[in-house]
Amino acid sequence: MRLTTPILLAALACLPTQWTKDLNVGLEGAMLFGAFGGVVFGLTFGSGFAAVTLTIVAGALSGVVFGWLITRLKVNVFIAGIVLNIFAGAATVYLLRSLFGVKGTLSAPGIPSLPTYRIPLIDGIPVLGPLLSGHTVLTYLSWAIVAGALFAVKHTVLVRHLKAAGEHPAALAAAGGNVQRMRILAQVWCFSLCALAGAQLSIGQLTLFTEGMTNGLGFVALAAVIFCRGRVLLLTLMSVVFGLASAVAIQVNDSVIPPQIAQMLPYLIAFVGLVVLARTSKDGGVRIATPTMES
Amino acid sequence: MSMNTPLKTVPQSKHSEVHSTASFARSLAKRIGPGVFTLAVGLVLAVTLIQAQGYQPLPTILAGLDYAIGDAPSIARTLAWGLPLFVATMGVALAYRSGMFNIGAEGQIYAGAMAAALTGAYIGPMFTGLHLFLCLAVSALTGGAVAAGLGWLRAVWNVDEVLSTLLSNYIIMLFCAYLATAPLRDPARQSGTTKAVHETAMFSELIPQTQLTSALFVVIVLCAATWWLSERSVTGYRWRMTGESSAFAAAVGINVRRSRIGSMTVSGALCGIAGALLVTASQGRFWTEIGTGIGWDAVLLAMIARARPLSAVVWVLVYSVMRSAARGIEQVSTVPSELSLILISGIIIAATARAGLFSRVAELKKILIRSEGK
Repeated sequence: MRLTTPILLAALACLPTQWTKDLNVGLEGAMLFGAFGGVVFGLTFGSGFAAVTLTIVAGALSGVVFGWLITRLKVNVFIAGIVLNIFAGAATVYLLRSLFGVKGTLSAPGIPSLPTYRIPLIDGIPVLGPLLSGHTVLTYLSWAIVAGALFAVKHTVLVRHLKAAGEHPAALAAAGGNVQRMRILAQVWCFSLCALAGAQLSIGQLTLFTEGMTNGLGFVALAAVIFCRGRVLLLTLMSVVFGLASAVAIQVNDSVIPPQIAQMLPYLIAFVGLVVLARTSKDGGVRIATPTMES
Repeated sequence: MSMNTPLKTVPQSKHSEVHSTASFARSLAKRIGPGVFTLAVGLVLAVTLIQAQGYQPLPTILAGLDYAIGDAPSIARTLAWGLPLFVATMGVALAYRSGMFNIGAEGQIYAGAMAAALTGAYIGPMFTGLHLFLCLAVSALTGGAVAAGLGWLRAVWNVDEVLSTLLSNYIIMLFCAYLATAPLRDPARQSGTTKAVHETAMFSELIPQTQLTSALFVVIVLCAATWWLSERSVTGYRWRMTGESSAFAAAVGINVRRSRIGSMTVSGALCGIAGALLVTASQGRFWTEIGTGIGWDAVLLAMIARARPLSAVVWVLVYSVMRSAARGIEQVSTVPSELSLILISGIIIAATARAGLFSRVAELKKILIRSEGK
């Protein structure tokens, strides 16, 4: 259950960028920055709340920059995303070494951890108790966002505008909407939630930062987004499945399955799912908007 | 190139010669302009980052460059490190050219490295040339098979190759890690490594103490062959057409499926060879972190070179020097060597944003002129 939260948050983050047809493949990098930000801000201000807030703010700001890059400066979003992933890996190591002089893992007693909450009534029930209670605020927030997204997709103009910005920009512009603003907004949302997902990893579940600690979770979330094709419920379901698969990988005994094979599980599921999706969908699978190498 | 021009151009009237040199200079500026712009961005970024650490930028950079290309052994060392990257970048660029975004270079490199390490350790010892050839061939086959499978999925079942190659990275790397830690582990060693390869499966050093091996010649041949295949051969033309517009390619009778699978196969084979070079030219065995992100470097470099083989070679050279210089800088200061990766990321974004940025500046200028006119 614990591993579901970052995947779910990252997947929810990516969803609007899929609506606007600017699928952000840089989830992994954004999460890594979020994890790093959570630890650094937490260490500086000594409070988990401040850490989360500042991480979101930093995420939103990077989202503005990223959105500006891909709309105004017409940087291909796929290239930008890939670069973001690699950049995040390098930049966090760089900052870790130059700010803290640490190589590998930063763990200090000063890093706050997010408090976990127990829900009074449910806590006592055998199966439901550990499942629903005793999580960080971010976990509950992620489920609130799921509910909010379900509602928003059905009833709000905003989501319709976001989708229109991707599917028919001209129509949105004619109807008085601002296509660019919608695209940037989607990226801001994406980065803010990715920052949360990262913070959940670094100060929600643990109280440390390790080089490359997202370890492919962002890509798994990306796979979930691709599967759901814009549908929130399916997205949630896929995130839970991937989260469970990751949890199995950690919990399973080394003597039963070698740990590396168990760790492969989420990626294998995602891979097989991708193939199945391409085989079963009528309009021929999903494509990520890759740039053409024109001469 | 410039030395050849006087021989080739027939001397004409003075006027036209001046004209042609001017237009030549303009076209040269057009070609070099983006390169200069990106390098300038990189330099500014480097200066800022080093300054932020409290060091004098220029002496530090010069010290780094001295470490990278100061004398013959250091040039050899820089080049030796870059050898696998050349091959991998050519491989990735080749696939890009046909519109296949092979993000799985890292996994294919691991697969190739594992294949070469096993071939080197469990077959032989035998005649060096043959053994090396066998290692490279097996790893090319392994990398090629992986990529061909993914290419087939894309071409026939329309499975998005970006995601499938991305996920394949983790699957392959974890599988190799499993092999190196459990069934094929070198019992004499603690960590996850395979048995050392036989001496006959190692390239010999050209310059002692520099790790620059005769693999250099293999790399040169492979780069030249890839350039020819991509830019000059009929197959390469088919692949490029498929990449530019698959509908057009199909309309003029190019077998799009075959182009896609073919280019992915060759791309994977090159990445596999890059992995083999990691083993046979330096490490001598497979270990779980042998790749150190070379596949991702290759992906970035192929992007910034816009998948052109020639500019890919230039960019790999630049990057090798940058990386080596960053290591040198790390030795004389506390600036971490990840500097080079940060720079190359900044350079790519600057390069891709350049066109948009310049048009924005031009727009602003227009607005400014208009407002002044009023």
